[in-house]
Amino acid sequence: MYVYLYDNYLNSKKFQSILKQIEIRLVDYGIAGKILRLNNYVDVKPIIEDEIKRGAKNIVIVGNDRTFGHVLSRGATCDCVFGFLPIGPDNTIAEVLGIPEGVESSDILARRRKQKLDVGWFNNRYFVSQLHVMPAKVRVIYDERFQVSTPFKMEVVVCNFQPFYWKRHKKDAEEFVVHPQDRKLEAFLRPLTKTGWFGYKYEDPSIFPFEEMEIIGDSPFVVEADGKATKEVKVKIKLAKNKIDMIVGRDRKF
Amino acid sequence: MIFKRQNTPVEEVDEAVEEVYEDAGHSEDNVDTVVGPSVNVEGDFASEGNIVVKGTVTGSVHTSKNLLVEPGARIIANVKAGSATIAGEVRGNMKIKDYLELTATARVVGDIEAKTIAMEAGSLLCGKVMMPGLEANEPRRSGRSRKSEDSSMEMGGE
Repeated sequence: MYVYLYDNYLNSKKFQSILKQIEIRLVDYGIAGKILRLNNYVDVKPIIEDEIKRGAKNIVIVGNDRTFGHVLSRGATCDCVFGFLPIGPDNTIAEVLGIPEGVESSDILARRRKQKLDVGWFNNRYFVSQLHVMPAKVRVIYDERFQVSTPFKMEVVVCNFQPFYWKRHKKDAEEFVVHPQDRKLEAFLRPLTKTGWFGYKYEDPSIFPFEEMEIIGDSPFVVEADGKATKEVKVKIKLAKNKIDMIVGRDRKF
Repeated sequence: MIFKRQNTPVEEVDEAVEEVYEDAGHSEDNVDTVVGPSVNVEGDFASEGNIVVKGTVTGSVHTSKNLLVEPGARIIANVKAGSATIAGEVRGNMKIKDYLELTATARVVGDIEAKTIAMEAGSLLCGKVMMPGLEANEPRRSGRSRKSEDSSMEMGGE
């Protein structure tokens, strides 16, 4: 049985026609199911668990990157198969998973090509795409073996699903691309150095692949995981291997 | 019977489509570990991939692959690596499995053990250099051992 979790923004008239088309295609495939509409402040885990008790085996996220992160940050531990139907703007994760936008995404769902995926874990919740620490005075301890510090403020980006593209200059051909599912998380550290009278400049990034790391700050710093920002003093990040059963497309990037 | 034969393959295909479980394609990417220019690393710094050092490392450095120490970078640690190119400063003993290159800007204070060493003019080195291959191929023979070998040859001849 399939359960579809629709994001709030899909109530807009703009998306009604595409939703209709997708729903018709799902009926054709015989995989139509219950539709639940999500609110921004709702914890998804109890909802999914309730549906699993009622017999649901497939939870399909309908929305964009934010919806995907919102559902999986709590629901990653649930015992079900997850699917994704990307609709609307801000859909970069779908491309990594090899799922096209719009009606074609239901073809991928019907094909049921499943794969177990790694996710990141931090301070009691999961993140799927990226974790971003805004420039702050922090030090980082990797795998409880070595410590990385700098006299300047430091920006930290931890990548899992979403590859981190970074160029030194706009014209630069060299680009850092991180593989999304390589059994490791990659941390990019960029110190923010002061240059003369006018403002600050980002230095060349340090890159550390890791399985466990701790970010410790002297004062609270802002952490943004899957677009959701919180303030923390200490963050412990781990890699949770093979956590999610996910329906993916053939053109996925891993 | 004919109708049954026609129906069964279609059902089989449907079932196959239902449960395609792909092998996790976890491919290893070649992301180097990079220590940036103003970054200090303290402790047992180990990596499975290549390491590029542009900043400062204190403690120990270990990699099975290549280590690159860029000009201006500083390592105050014992180093173990598959191969290494040094253009910065290293204070500590280095054990390199394969190939070590010291460029013109390299400053090394410590003992070196490597299979192959290339030193560019201008590089500075203070310490012992050991190349294990040489010891294994041509062991030094003392006068006493040579005599005993000769006598054993004579005994064998009789």
